[in-house]
Amino acid sequence: MTAAIRDITRRKEDEAHLLQKVEELNRSNEELGQFAYVASHDLQEPLRMVASYTQLLSRRYKGKLGSDADEFIAFAVDGASRMQRLIQDLLAYSRVGTKGMELLDTSSEAALQQALINLRGAIEESGALVTHDALPTVPADEMQLIQLFQNLVGNAIKYQNPGVPRVHISAAKNGGKKWIFSVQDNGLGIDSQYFERIFGVFQRLHKREEFAGTGIGLAICKKIVERHGGSISVESQPGQGSTFRFALAGSERKS
Amino acid sequence: MKAVGGEGMPIEVLLVEDSPGDVRLTQEAFRDANKSVHLHVASDGVEAMAFLRHEGAHVHAPRPDLILLDLNLPKMDGREVLAKIKKDDSLKTIPTIILTTSEAEADIVKGYQLQANCYLTKPGQLEAFESLVKSINDFWLTKVKLPRQRQSA
Repeated sequence: MTAAIRDITRRKEDEAHLLQKVEELNRSNEELGQFAYVASHDLQEPLRMVASYTQLLSRRYKGKLGSDADEFIAFAVDGASRMQRLIQDLLAYSRVGTKGMELLDTSSEAALQQALINLRGAIEESGALVTHDALPTVPADEMQLIQLFQNLVGNAIKYQNPGVPRVHISAAKNGGKKWIFSVQDNGLGIDSQYFERIFGVFQRLHKREEFAGTGIGLAICKKIVERHGGSISVESQPGQGSTFRFALAGSERKS
Repeated sequence: MKAVGGEGMPIEVLLVEDSPGDVRLTQEAFRDANKSVHLHVASDGVEAMAFLRHEGAHVHAPRPDLILLDLNLPKMDGREVLAKIKKDDSLKTIPTIILTTSEAEADIVKGYQLQANCYLTKPGQLEAFESLVKSINDFWLTKVKLPRQRQSA
């Protein structure tokens, strides 16, 4: 009898302890998000000065201070511009977490269409053929769903062999419940050892000279999907193209 | 009605900006965009109001044709300055442009609620900044018609 009571007391204490830990974690997560947001905002100001003035130096004094000076200034200009892009991407990444979101019934097909409109330049330039099946309505934050499609389709077009990039977007029900979305391409493909790493912040598999970018795109995708309570993964072989799949939790609603 | 400046008259622009780097950059950009622009600088909100009300050292300050206003300023911030300008019958007809790094939605909304004539963000690249100043000049100092208030004020 007393043992049973002791058990219950113990369990209650454990539960309270766990709840407290969860709360602490939530708070520190929130603080971290805010820190990234504020830091990147306030960092942009002095960096804009460095970027603008090194650019001004370069324009006014190029060829007048000797070739060493030209080279040094060029490195400074490039470094400042790169840091600006990094900070902007960090800001975009932290924004996914700090903005409140509302999950409303959203046409994923309309979200994809908007993403394709945003990518019009890249699609026209590459001559990519982007096709898709009929896509369902799912509970989602529309802006984030657009960004998700935009990043995935954008990558599919970007990491390509010579030739016509082909991208196909589809959705299928998993065991009659969740919708699983797929973005399939015929691009460079990815070695399986990098399947986890590519979803990390600022992780890149290519040199800057090969492909521009900071390595934030898939990290943003992962964060968006996780904020929707889902998961994202990739299946690929080098030279055989890649397929990115994601599910949004709660997407077991009507089609 | 008059086009700003008109017949070789100088164009008076008040820049309210606390960062010397930004002041210089704006001066450089206006020098390229339009030589008739006289750029006056107030480095905080209190000084900006003194300039506009011809107080203290600014007794002979001209009435600006345009105000470029940063948001985060020492002593009195840009929002307060804007509110004061738009509440003042003689000042509220001066086009007042917010020029800031803040892209926060709350700042943008607040700016327009306080009757800013437009809200612009400072680009991070030199060329984009120069082109922004050129746009300001082409629109606000060239195309826009303003009341003849400079004479009557």
